[in-house]
Amino acid sequence: MESLIGKGCRRIDAYDKVTGRGLYASDYDNQFTHVAQIKALRSPYAHALIKKLDISRAQALDGVIYVMTGYEKGIDWDQFPKAAVLAMDRALWAGQTVALVCAETEEIAEKAVDLIDVEYEVLPHVLDYYDAIKPNPAAVVDPDYETRDQGFMDRPADRATNRVSPNIVGAYFMNEGNVEEAMKTADRIAEGEFWVGKKTASPMECANALCRYDNDGGITMWSNGAGVHGVIKQGIVRILGMEESHVRVIQPYMGGSFGSRLNPFIELLTALMCIRTKRTVRYKFTRKELFIASPSNWTCITKVKLGAKNDGTIVANDYYLCEEIGAALNNTFFSGRLSSSGAAPVYTWGHNIRMDTYAVTTNTVPAAEYRGLGCPEAEFGIECLINQLADELHMSPVEIRKKNMIKRGERDCYGELITSTGIEKCMEAVADAIKVEEEPVQDMGVWKKGRGIAVAGKQNTPLGRSEAEVWFNSDGTIELFISCDENGMGATTAMTQIVANEFKVPIEAVKTTKGDTAITPYDNYSASSRTTYNCGNACMLAAQDCIRQLKDEVARAYGLHPSKVEIEGTKAILKGSYVQEVDIPSLFVPVGMFTQGNWGLQKGSPVKGHAVYCPAAIHQWGKDGRADRVWNWFQYSACAVEAAVNEETGQIRILKIASSADTGNPINTETIRGQIIGGIHMAVGFATMEEHLYDDKGQMWNCNLSDYRLPLSDTLPTNDNVFTFICPDPLPDGPYGAKGMAESITIPVGPAIAEAVYKAVGVRVTGYPMTAERILKLIEDRDAVSEGGAR
Amino acid sequence: MKIENEEELRGRKEYSLTVNGRKVMVFVHPSKTLLEVLREDLDLIGTKCGCDDTNCGVCTVLMDGHPVKSCTILIPQAAGHTILTIEGLEAAPDNLHPLQQSFIDHTAIQCGFCTPAMVLTAKAILDENPHASEEEIREGLHGNVCRCTGYKQITEAIMAVRDGEYGDFLQWEEVNHK
Repeated sequence: MESLIGKGCRRIDAYDKVTGRGLYASDYDNQFTHVAQIKALRSPYAHALIKKLDISRAQALDGVIYVMTGYEKGIDWDQFPKAAVLAMDRALWAGQTVALVCAETEEIAEKAVDLIDVEYEVLPHVLDYYDAIKPNPAAVVDPDYETRDQGFMDRPADRATNRVSPNIVGAYFMNEGNVEEAMKTADRIAEGEFWVGKKTASPMECANALCRYDNDGGITMWSNGAGVHGVIKQGIVRILGMEESHVRVIQPYMGGSFGSRLNPFIELLTALMCIRTKRTVRYKFTRKELFIASPSNWTCITKVKLGAKNDGTIVANDYYLCEEIGAALNNTFFSGRLSSSGAAPVYTWGHNIRMDTYAVTTNTVPAAEYRGLGCPEAEFGIECLINQLADELHMSPVEIRKKNMIKRGERDCYGELITSTGIEKCMEAVADAIKVEEEPVQDMGVWKKGRGIAVAGKQNTPLGRSEAEVWFNSDGTIELFISCDENGMGATTAMTQIVANEFKVPIEAVKTTKGDTAITPYDNYSASSRTTYNCGNACMLAAQDCIRQLKDEVARAYGLHPSKVEIEGTKAILKGSYVQEVDIPSLFVPVGMFTQGNWGLQKGSPVKGHAVYCPAAIHQWGKDGRADRVWNWFQYSACAVEAAVNEETGQIRILKIASSADTGNPINTETIRGQIIGGIHMAVGFATMEEHLYDDKGQMWNCNLSDYRLPLSDTLPTNDNVFTFICPDPLPDGPYGAKGMAESITIPVGPAIAEAVYKAVGVRVTGYPMTAERILKLIEDRDAVSEGGAR
Repeated sequence: MKIENEEELRGRKEYSLTVNGRKVMVFVHPSKTLLEVLREDLDLIGTKCGCDDTNCGVCTVLMDGHPVKSCTILIPQAAGHTILTIEGLEAAPDNLHPLQQSFIDHTAIQCGFCTPAMVLTAKAILDENPHASEEEIREGLHGNVCRCTGYKQITEAIMAVRDGEYGDFLQWEEVNHK
């Protein structure tokens, strides 16, 4: 049979989803009777002391089952996801939960929330990096940072000392070569400071969880959270002290995640309420709550200084980055290290780079994972400056990049070996599609056209094991059991394709069951674009394990060495035997009084293959922040655009856009195409529309989908102006040479648009979203300068 | 025991409407939205809820053939009208509407949460204008947010039906929706 790898097989979940039959977590209410509902009282202030909190009237309301506050007994909020922490004496952001009510109906719960008597004393707040980083900021979010017990960091090296501001709660430093000496050899310096807006992933299905109290005192949870084993079950077991056998987590279809559902902010509170009330409980965020109470991305401020020779060779990068992480007390996650990894995989920097990176807290919703893990934010400034250097040196933006890129077999700034990079192919494909080295014809009146390009790399972090189980049933049907997430990206289809390919059967011949901790084997979670690689390797190994056992059984039955047996679906092909072909199901012996099945193949009992795949651990870096294994592998992407900017309004319109992905050898070309187009669509949103906006109380005022604009059906140009390319460089340790790809797509879109804006109207953007107002302001400033010059 | 709100119970009224070709009568409070009635009273959970204020479009159903956001249609407004939800679009489990089949074939689906509404809106677009251009299709989809796909495969799927690649869809509807 022809290989299934690199084919656009139909999605295995398409039928369920297109007919409305597929169940999502938010569809489970109908499956139960008497579901109790949870509603939250949230702080209206970004920073306030809670002077009084009286829940007695709420508790007394008929139909109220439980009211929880920050003083709930036996709870260590330090262990909870930051966005799930209930306020005690101090509310840290507008939207933080002050009390949680569980009642018989939603209406009663809402009424009870209104009956809670709470008095606040409003405190000054800090809402962004610039306010928070001041030596004497208006507010200090985590005053106990320095006095908290040692050992709260999993990596002591990340603990910030000699802090510029008391809001700095993490730091990471990295040095390769000698930046200062190298800068002296540069002919030209380009530098700038760059910012990006705060965003919410905004999957279409709001975060929700339903938790059943089981008769044995255990719980069963259905949620649209990610990581049934590694995140949700282990989180509940560890934080709430449940026995593993008493927690079952099921992930139905998920209405999107983009990384945002890796944080179990709703699952832990729902499970806790379930245990407290011994009821089946439901907690469902509204769209507004998704903005103000579920984690946002983290914004990054970067200050980038590049030194270059006149021929375009970059000799050094002096790089500062600060992650703005929201109201995270006891930060153990952020230090700037995650985001600044975006500076590593693409360019050599002449082997002179200094990275000083930090994390800073603010009175905004705590940040967590979102597609790209800070890399779109971290690489924006770098790509903008490289475009600027190219313009100043009158070089092609393609040529300058080629001169500075890391090649396969070379080492990045951490000292890691790059084993796979398709970045050059990626760049050439999009440059050619948009003809970025040529000038567009200006024929749109006040709409001025420009073209821009940018490239990107994104690390994959080793994130633990994936397991897979493959069954060959006695009738010859095949089943796959996995626990990777299916946020919508098509991972389960790719996994099924891999197993079908190993058995040499069509994809329809393999049935996949996924995401139920009582049935499917361990997987940590789907993050860092790792599923194809991690779970894919496990699926391939599990299929091979199953096939090996089948070969043994057939070989035994026909007196052969197992190497003389090939498995093709339900057939075994034999070499050197008196038969050439065997129908494998016919070897499964029926159950009977005279054929007790103590061994061998028996009807009804599948042959089970099992496998574990786990990447190697990383190595602790030294004082210079370097080690020979910091990340796992790298995905790459490039984007080129032709955009038009309205000189009178500042609006940006994308006229043509091309995006390419180095996916390693692709498993499913159609789902990858979907990821590429969906990725650039989302990234145009990052670059031109999406950001949290706050009023003077520190409340986000655009917390709905009419004021927080998402890209829509008219955001990208028509189909003949959207180009996608798969430019693989096989990953040696990936299944069939494949690697993940979903995150890198979003990274180069913003800087490519920024360069197109510069080419169109001559203004340099230093941050995004590039809203019409901001672009117009830059155009007006440009005109003011040129008028001043004329006088 | 199920706890009912007395005030809500006393306010309930009868409403009849046609849903997916079948006359139904519901006895609910007039403040209930069509979305709530579809999901809670009729168990038609293919219609989703994403925002509560008409901005996301995942609750779109067809009312007398026109796409409406069921989250902001109160049940009295829907009474007497004809509603089509995703469950009523297929003729049989193995005889999907051409648009459904085309969405499958074109990988126009990722997380799928917007898909039922997207397919219904696509039907309304083509029913109104069987020769809709890509721009017109995109304009028609403006009220339906898809966060995953970027709309290229969705519009390709709709144009394939428009172009007759799945037979005459109007004829299919004529035969199967009567």
